[in-house]
Amino acid sequence: MTCEVKAKDRTGTINPIFTCQPAGAQYASIGIKDCIGIVHGGQGCVMFVRLLISQHLKENFEIASSSVHEDGAVFGALDRVETAVDVLLSRYPHVKVVPIITTCSTEVIGDDVDGLITKLEEGLLAEKFADREVHLLPIHSPSFVGSMVSGYDVAVRDFVKKFAKKGAPNGKINLITGWVNPGDVKELKHLLKEMDIDATVLFEIESFDSPILPDGSAVSHGATTIEDLQATGSASHTFALNRYEGAKAAQLLEKKFKIPAVIGPTPIGIRNTDSLLKQLSQATGKPIPTSLVKERGIALDAITDVAHMFLADKKVAIFGNPDLVIGLAEFCLDLEMKPTLLLLGDDNAGYVNDPRIKALQENVDYPMEIVTNADFWDLEDRIKNKGLELDLILGHSKGRFVSIDYNIPMLRVGFPTYDRAGLFRNPVVGYSGATWLAEQMANALFSDMEVKKNKEWLLNVW
Amino acid sequence: MPYHEFEVSKVIPERKLHAVVKGPGEDLTSCLPKGYLNTIPGSISERGCAYCGAKHVIGTPMKDVIHLSHGPVGCTYDTWQTKRYISDNNNFQLKYTFASDVKEKHIVFGAEKLLRQNILEAFDAFPEIKRMTIYQTCATALIGDDMAAIAEEVMAERPDVDIFVCNSPGFGGPSQSGGHHKINIAWLNQKVGTLEPEITSDYVINYVGEYNIQGDQEVMLDYFKRMGIQVLSTFTGNGTYDSLRGMHRAHLNVLECARSAEYICDELRARYGIPRLDIDGFGHKALGDSLRKIGLFFGIEDRAEAIIAEETARWKPELDWYKERLQGKRVCLWPGGSKLWHWAHAIQEEMGVKVVSVYTKFGHQGDMEKGVSRCGEGALAIDDPNELEGQEALRTLKPDVIFTGKRPGEVAKKMRVPYLNAHAYHNGPYKGFEGWVRFARDIYNAVYSPMHRLSAIDISKDDYETGKGFVTRRMLSDADLSEDAKASPITGYTGKFDPIPDLRKKTDYPVFARRVAAAE
Amino acid sequence: MAKKEKKDIARANYPKLYTSDPLADLDADTREKVSELENYIMKNCLWQFNSRGWDRRKQNAGILGMTAQLLIGEDVEISTAIDKCYWVDAVLLARNFTARCAWLGGMGAEELRTIMTKLHARIDWLTIDGSLNEELTVQNY
Repeated sequence: MTCEVKAKDRTGTINPIFTCQPAGAQYASIGIKDCIGIVHGGQGCVMFVRLLISQHLKENFEIASSSVHEDGAVFGALDRVETAVDVLLSRYPHVKVVPIITTCSTEVIGDDVDGLITKLEEGLLAEKFADREVHLLPIHSPSFVGSMVSGYDVAVRDFVKKFAKKGAPNGKINLITGWVNPGDVKELKHLLKEMDIDATVLFEIESFDSPILPDGSAVSHGATTIEDLQATGSASHTFALNRYEGAKAAQLLEKKFKIPAVIGPTPIGIRNTDSLLKQLSQATGKPIPTSLVKERGIALDAITDVAHMFLADKKVAIFGNPDLVIGLAEFCLDLEMKPTLLLLGDDNAGYVNDPRIKALQENVDYPMEIVTNADFWDLEDRIKNKGLELDLILGHSKGRFVSIDYNIPMLRVGFPTYDRAGLFRNPVVGYSGATWLAEQMANALFSDMEVKKNKEWLLNVW
Repeated sequence: MPYHEFEVSKVIPERKLHAVVKGPGEDLTSCLPKGYLNTIPGSISERGCAYCGAKHVIGTPMKDVIHLSHGPVGCTYDTWQTKRYISDNNNFQLKYTFASDVKEKHIVFGAEKLLRQNILEAFDAFPEIKRMTIYQTCATALIGDDMAAIAEEVMAERPDVDIFVCNSPGFGGPSQSGGHHKINIAWLNQKVGTLEPEITSDYVINYVGEYNIQGDQEVMLDYFKRMGIQVLSTFTGNGTYDSLRGMHRAHLNVLECARSAEYICDELRARYGIPRLDIDGFGHKALGDSLRKIGLFFGIEDRAEAIIAEETARWKPELDWYKERLQGKRVCLWPGGSKLWHWAHAIQEEMGVKVVSVYTKFGHQGDMEKGVSRCGEGALAIDDPNELEGQEALRTLKPDVIFTGKRPGEVAKKMRVPYLNAHAYHNGPYKGFEGWVRFARDIYNAVYSPMHRLSAIDISKDDYETGKGFVTRRMLSDADLSEDAKASPITGYTGKFDPIPDLRKKTDYPVFARRVAAAE
Repeated sequence: MAKKEKKDIARANYPKLYTSDPLADLDADTREKVSELENYIMKNCLWQFNSRGWDRRKQNAGILGMTAQLLIGEDVEISTAIDKCYWVDAVLLARNFTARCAWLGGMGAEELRTIMTKLHARIDWLTIDGSLNEELTVQNY
């Protein structure tokens, strides 16, 4: 056994890879049309998450705060939520969905958000907003549990739970993408279109990449509607692409509405995309069209140009959301690379039982470490003090200084990627994503060869 | 009545008292918005929390310190890598952040033991760092952990380390300003006077309320060093922990951002008799007068005059080049707190722009007094603005450029208003004589961006010009200028992309003989 | 050498000097002159905006008092570091006034004293007694 899975061996966090649950719930909430969440807690829990999202997407999204101040922390702050709902609905007449997202402070105080929602439904909504369609729902996302990943998972489940209805079978599948970028959604929708499969995509966030319009009227928001969410209860199958970001909702639909759930694989790389297409085909009876054979071939053609000549045996560290990290590691192996260190975020005890991780443990023929509840010190300490040698780092922008200070090239992948332009526009999933990843990894290595004058002449001929 | 009621805020009438338009004959006794009151829930205010005010704004710019937040990981992650307060020790404080990583079991059973382990682990990971600040968060404030007691224990165990404890949970006040206040007072009470500094000059100052955004502090320190002044400490940008323990020995507190740091200056004045001198590091006249005042205080005004003469000769012509091209451009000056008054008058006088609105996210009425005073008639002043009000103001005021935060900048972008980052700057530093030209350059680049002109065109409706392959900024900015102006040999800013590395290398500072042997 | 001083217990009890604009009945010419000086201060200075009323009272009296003395040509007494800080702001203010307002040069000592007294009253009114700032009377910093 050369692939070890272990938890971070320190109690504290030095340079966190992940933020906390409310951030995940907020990211899910902006995927829904006519939805503005209210985060019940201090104002920083919203302000910084909005900033983070705007750093990543270079767009602004609306999320409100209940603005809990000192008195609320002492005496309970439900009155702040009451006011927040009233003010928000009064000033945003288009808003239909208002998730109340809890935080550490309001969970510790013990504010009964569920009870308040019932009270508001019977009071405020029935009286003041009787002519409006308004849905309130609680999302419990205390910051001291899980991470932004579980917060996203919980929120997706809670949205589905709130809205899903059993209707006549609509012949659609539910596609729960997990925490992805607009570019990923675009690629996934493209694959579905080629397969001639009608799907409800949760969440429909292609529109996050929004324009400047001449009249200055554009705003960024997701496009998943209440009707979309309701229709999830009438689908034939649910495909949750990520085990840790959306599977809870798929399981809920399976349990409640007997809709079969297909969980994973995260379609990163050729092989995982192949698996997804086959599962889609099996579930829907639709054949895989020759157009995708061709697209797959273009990807393979591109990857062949770089894989065994440049990428083979390159040692890679990968950090970020667990499904992304695992998917990237799998693809790297297919590319003949050597992922040597995988850093997974929170303290989810389930990671060790993930079949993909078990497969890595059974088959990897070189030393590989997988660290759960990891932070960036798990990466830096190994480089600085323990002799870890790396050719490449894959992960998001918060790890940028490890790359910069130790002169290791890094391809920005995941969330957030604020220190590179436009990455959210590119997919990492599907055949296009496979091409993009392989080529960008190669380009990162090429730039590094030139900066370090390390066989920089190699590319004179290629 | 100078109060301004936003259409979008008619349903929250209390907002009416938070915006004013300064009309003819209005002064501060009739025209001042309310400020620093509790935020209206659900209004989508831009305010942050008191934790970030303490940790992110004031604490973290201290450069030789392990900054440990006691709480779940999010507060730490969120306040990491969103600012540009650099330092000359390879940016340790920007690169490293620490969280005690409080989980559910700690909420139930207490997290003091966890904190203790964390402190030791962090010092062990960075053996060269011997100083730490610990910041409370909402969660650990509510469970009542005694952070000070743990810090005392560790300090007793490890005599070479020193720990500062800041109890400023996120909910502690209407905005980040609550945290500014708490950390000012906590630092004064816990740390000032606990270390005697070495005095090397007859002229000793603390430089307070300066956070070294993109190198501002280093620019100003260059001037002070050229004057032979010892900067005992900077509170806090590029400052060291131990130097700030010796603040009580300065002869003068030179204060920039009064919003975030006047508390400590006022207390130092009351407790130690150290005068507080408010200055502006922004703007050639204001900065010149500021240096003159510091020079006068120490009887070395000639040294200030020499710097002013040299710097003005070098940079004023370039500033004037921009001024000619920015005449009458309408500005929304929408920062967090102090920039609204630091900049309002200086940009109008020295860059020719017109400030049509000021706002403050977390300022107090005192900031608005300064801001409203320094604007011209007709300017709309908004306290604690919210998203819809900002959009309404942009629609009605139609500014040519907005100076605000990163995320509100995205709102402006969609509304076709170019934005400059007022907190972190676009391409700063903006302080100093050269920095001020850099600011003018950034404004010019934003206002005359050819892309900005293109974004106004609706190709489906408008009859737009074809046949041009490009437009330059000069083609846009100089179209209506006189032939003389067009013929100017100056073509804008001629400094480097980053002026700070040269300052760090600089060693040829004059050595002035001390008048008397150190009496301290 | 600096030493800890006792807290100023009279802080929040600083007396109110004006209940209305002290210049309301001033002749137009003097009024305009005071406005010119006032405008310079409000646009360029920060010393008048300390956070608490009792400090503002001291700042205004210290700096404007010394400015008057400087303009008149009287000796200014500086006995503490804080006095010196007033003086510094006063010197710059006097210089900027003189450079901007040529009419000051034609005034005699009494005229200068009068107009500076009016200015002081006006600045006190704007920043303290007529101020809408609700934090001026907060007891602590």
